[in-house]
Amino acid sequence: MPALLELQRAMGRALLAPSAPDAQTLGFEASPAFGVYRNTCLGTLTQALALSFPAVRRLVGSAFFESAAQAFIRAHPATSACLNDYGEQLPAFLAHYRHAAAVTYLADVARLEWAVNRALHAADVEALDVASLAKLDAAAVPALSFVPHGAVTVLRLERPADVIWRAVLDGDDAALRALDPDAGPVWLLIGRSAAGVEVRRMTALAGVFTQRLCAGEPLQAVLDAIAASIEPTGGESMADALNAVLADHLASARFTSWRIGEQAS
Amino acid sequence: MLESTGIEGQAGPIPAAAGIGLRFPHHELVLQTHPAVPWFEVHAENFFGGGSARRTLEAVRRDYRLSLHGVGLSLGSAEGLDRSHLERLAALVQSIEPALVSEHLAWSVVGGRYLADLLPLPMTEEALAVVCAHVQQTQERLRRPILLENPSSYLTFAHSSIPEWEFLAAVVNRTGCRLLCDVNNIFVSASNHGWDALKYLNALPAQAIGEYHLAGHAVCTLENGREVRIDNHGSRVAPPVWALYEQALRRLGPRPTLIEWDTDIPALDVLLDEAALAGDRLRSSATRSHACAA
Repeated sequence: MPALLELQRAMGRALLAPSAPDAQTLGFEASPAFGVYRNTCLGTLTQALALSFPAVRRLVGSAFFESAAQAFIRAHPATSACLNDYGEQLPAFLAHYRHAAAVTYLADVARLEWAVNRALHAADVEALDVASLAKLDAAAVPALSFVPHGAVTVLRLERPADVIWRAVLDGDDAALRALDPDAGPVWLLIGRSAAGVEVRRMTALAGVFTQRLCAGEPLQAVLDAIAASIEPTGGESMADALNAVLADHLASARFTSWRIGEQAS
Repeated sequence: MLESTGIEGQAGPIPAAAGIGLRFPHHELVLQTHPAVPWFEVHAENFFGGGSARRTLEAVRRDYRLSLHGVGLSLGSAEGLDRSHLERLAALVQSIEPALVSEHLAWSVVGGRYLADLLPLPMTEEALAVVCAHVQQTQERLRRPILLENPSSYLTFAHSSIPEWEFLAAVVNRTGCRLLCDVNNIFVSASNHGWDALKYLNALPAQAIGEYHLAGHAVCTLENGREVRIDNHGSRVAPPVWALYEQALRRLGPRPTLIEWDTDIPALDVLLDEAALAGDRLRSSATRSHACAA
């Protein structure tokens, strides 16, 4: 008679293994019924992934999605019963899933869908109080850094996953045929507003700036990195452009707090 | 007027009337049409995050009593409860002040992996001690009694030594928890294992019953030709389950009753219609018990 922990470990292994368990060693009767549990376990996790990655599923078809999902589930079992949090590693898994290699933009669409999933489900957190920034000493501003809202993601994708994602979910075949998947990288800002999930394109400048700010880098370090990596363009000055981007982030509640050294909001 | 036999939560008790599960496809419609249903039950884990789901729940709780039904706490895990899961549940309970909080006599976590099903426990003294410790830990953290739901199961363990109904009664005795009597689960398990469903019902402590669940189930044939009933919450309540529910009302008394429907979720009207069928039975059972008392 196995102790409870031993029994649960064996059942856990058997549920995620492709072959039937040895009922004798697990100490249960009527072993064919074990398949009922395996079907529910795999089916529930597959369904959770299908809800979070609807465009990926439509791109590859439900049968392919199901077999990819089962391979993923075995490689990356869920670690929480909150299934809205499950699937973070699916984009990276699909990038190396050889059966999907022909769909070059699949992993990028999955990255976007994971960001959309975060935008849908991230915990509600109060936005940063912009008035608290006005009181800061100007000399301290270069060291200012921000904490992004959990719903916010910045992505640089090699393929125009935003156009593909919308066209797939809308069933817009004409848009899919018209797009050039090799048109070059895109920068996307994903978040949520009162109206729902937002997916927006950004310029490379705004993208790099926002991504580094969201990583918690101090303002001056972000500006230095940009000055070193991005060619200035004519027209609007870079400072004006970045000021406008930062003002939009603050007005759109994309940051929840600020920090300067040990000082924090 | 129905007497209230629900358990008092911060937001007041749920009446002994029929409610339905609030599922995502119906969120908008419920907010717009405000259906005449006395209460809703929600799956706790679906509301651990924020955003529009949580906003919907906040709006619904202003007008309806809520029951919070957990599916992932894994009270039967030998390795102990996932504390972060319990903390998220506690935060949700504190925020929405549900009238009822329930979980399952089952396990779903081992080695830190969530196996996405309500898995069966061997009915042993060891499992009883594990479940009681975790029910107690949960009740202490939530600062309220929880309801423990009887499972549906498809296999039994050779080394089980306690009948499931006695196991449930023992958890009630040791922890002061209440029971969520899932009538469909009793029917499914009794059919699968050759138990006597009425004997099961009779063995449950009537005063501890805080809620009933009703749902549809499927009948499948296994590789070995054996027929198995599967609790899939994907259809109307089966006639023998209605009959067993009537027995439960007679033996255990009227309580808040939930229609569960989680796969192939039908139109809201179908759910309300099914709830009305349960409501009819609850009303006639209340009339009958008043007649007996007179």
